[in-house]
Order: sequence, then structure tokens, then C-alpha cells
Amino acid sequence: MKAKTIAIHSSRGGTGKTLIATNLAAILAMRGSNVAFLDLDFSSPSLATVFSKKVDDPVLYWLNDFFNGKCRPDQILIDVSEKTDMKGRLLIGLANPTVAAIQNTIKKSRAWEVTAVKKLFAMLSAFFKEMDIDCCILDTSPGIQFSSINAVVSSDLSITVTTLDSLDIESTKIILSDLYDALSKKTAVLVNKFSTEMKLQSNEDQNILTSKLEEMLKHPVIGMIPCYCDVLQAERTSLLAVEKPSHPFIRKLEEVADKLEKSQYLT
Amino acid sequence: MERDSLKTDPALISLINEIGQINKKLDSLFLLNQRMLKAQEEVIRRSGLKFELDSMTLLVLPASLRKTVMALYKLEKGTAKDIAEETRRLRAVESASANQLVRMGYLKKKREGRDVYFYIEPALELKE
Repeated sequence: MKAKTIAIHSSRGGTGKTLIATNLAAILAMRGSNVAFLDLDFSSPSLATVFSKKVDDPVLYWLNDFFNGKCRPDQILIDVSEKTDMKGRLLIGLANPTVAAIQNTIKKSRAWEVTAVKKLFAMLSAFFKEMDIDCCILDTSPGIQFSSINAVVSSDLSITVTTLDSLDIESTKIILSDLYDALSKKTAVLVNKFSTEMKLQSNEDQNILTSKLEEMLKHPVIGMIPCYCDVLQAERTSLLAVEKPSHPFIRKLEEVADKLEKSQYLT
Repeated sequence: MERDSLKTDPALISLINEIGQINKKLDSLFLLNQRMLKAQEEVIRRSGLKFELDSMTLLVLPASLRKTVMALYKLEKGTAKDIAEETRRLRAVESASANQLVRMGYLKKKREGRDVYFYIEPALELKE
């Protein structure tokens, strides 16, 4: 896959970014890629909870420790693919979810952020060169924050997740022009949780809406995922791509993965 | 003959004089600019001021300078040629861009043998 580092970002919270990032990482690993999946949302970490049932031992090193110079890049990765049927490996890097760690991150100075962005580049380089990682998925904090910009800067492709809510669309337009275009980053938009009441049953209907969105946002739309109530209500510790691979939500993400593997968003 | 008459044409002589004076003014402006840039560099060097080149700052930099910085995030340190290979722009463009960032206080440069390396000054590691 040409896109080695993919940042999953959104202009606002609640778009389903983490759910998408988690299952996309799992799908790529199930297809045979060695995937590093990192939680770069230091102000509101969630992957420690998502993978709590798949990590037996206490976490020795958090991503925070790497950025604070306390460990090597390889020491933060935890292999969660052993318990699941995956052709490749899924290795996760968790952000420390304790209040003390979050406070510590918020207190960091701009000088620390300079080091952080350089360390992120060094970490990704170590993953690809020394650890046989094929693809790195970065789950970011929403909006414009240091950690999310660092993720976007260091990625080959950014996928910005949005709903069709007018506030989401407007703020997505802003970050597309003021962040991604400003940084000359390859970007694709993924629409999530669109209402099934929109009756976009046929492919033709979806294609018309996709074209309209692409025209309005001036960026390609990589996928359109309807709102599935059972997905929203499911326990967040369940890995849908593994447990229910034929679920329509996962099927839609499979289509996104197909497009990523064909690299059509990077040419 | 016609050429000789041109040489004595008062309008032409006046024009040549004017051009000569414009040339002199341009030369002095160029020298003044060079002196100002050096002075600016020296003031920043002596003051010890550090301008943090974090990713948020990237967004407010002009696009041409932003590309150079993004290449240096990846390279850690590099000559104008190294940066140009990363950005796929001309070496001269990267040299001008990197030197401007040095003058703005965002980059540092050091000579190693015959090469000049540009780099983002390492920030102090903060302890938890």
C-alpha cells in the first residue's frame, strides 16, 4: 500500500472517527498488512478502553512515555493480533488515559511540541525501517490541536471523517482549506452516519450525493457510511471487523480499504 | 554617421545618465538590504531569542517556507541539496528559503566541512 501513514481526523468530535480508525486498522491487518495503530488523542484517549479486553498485561509504556523520552518506539507497541484471526499483525500504541497524564500533556509548552513532531517522524521511520510495519493508522484528536496537526503533518494521507450535519460540513470545509490544503496534504473525506431516511438506496443516488459533496468540499469522498444503530449501541470493546466481518458497516469500510490499497488517493 | 549623431543626442545622454543613477540606487538598496538582513540575523543570534517551530506555527508561515520546514521535520538536519531532494524543488530555492527561516529565527545552520547544514534547534526535553 502506497499510503504508509494515514491520519484519521475530523473537524469536530462525535463523527465516529475512532470506530472507523479501529476497524480500518483491523481490516488491513486481517488482509495481511502489518499495521501500527496509534492513539494520538492525548487529551481524550480512548484506545486503552477499546482494546482493554485484548491487552492482558499492564501497559509498560504509553505513547506519552515515548514523547517524553522515556522509551524506544518499539517499546510502546502491543500486539493484539495474536488473539484474533489475522493474516498480518495489528500492533497498538496507547495514549495514557489517566487524568494526571492528560493534565501533563495539556501543560506542555510549544518547545515540547517541536520535539513531539520530530519524534513522531522518527517513530514512524523506525516502524517502517526496523519493525516491518506496512501501514500506520493515526487516530487523532478532533479539530485543530497540536497532536492532530502533528499527525496530519507526518501522514501521507489524511482521511477526514464527517457527518452530514451542517455544522460538521461547514467546519470540515474550513479544515480542508485552512489545514490540509495549507499543508499540501493528500486528503479524502469519509462521510459517516448519514441518515437512512435519506433513502439513498441505489448506487446512483449515492453517486449523485458523492459528486455534490466533492464539488462543495473540493476534495474526493472516499466513502459514504450510513448510520447503523446497532453499531452505535454496541459495546466499544468489541472489534466489529473481527467479530462481525459481514456487517454492512464493515463492508463499507472494506470498500474504503480497497481504495486505499489501490492507492487511487495518492496518485 | 547616424550612430555618431545619437551619441550627441541630448535626450539620449540624459536617459543614459538617468539609467546610470537608477543602477547606482539599486546597487545601494541591495547593499542596504544585505546589511539589514545580516544585522537582523546578528540581533537574533545575540538576543538568544528562540522561535518555536511547532506544527501550529507551520500554518502561519508562507507556503514556500512551510515546505522547507516540513522537509526538515523529516530529515532532522540537511543541506539545501538534501532539502531540495525531499521537496523536489530547486536547490537554490531551498537555500533561499532555509536562509530566510534562519534570519527569522526558526532554523539554525552550521558548517560541517564544505557543507552548510540547516536544522531545527532541539527543544529541551521536559520532565514529567
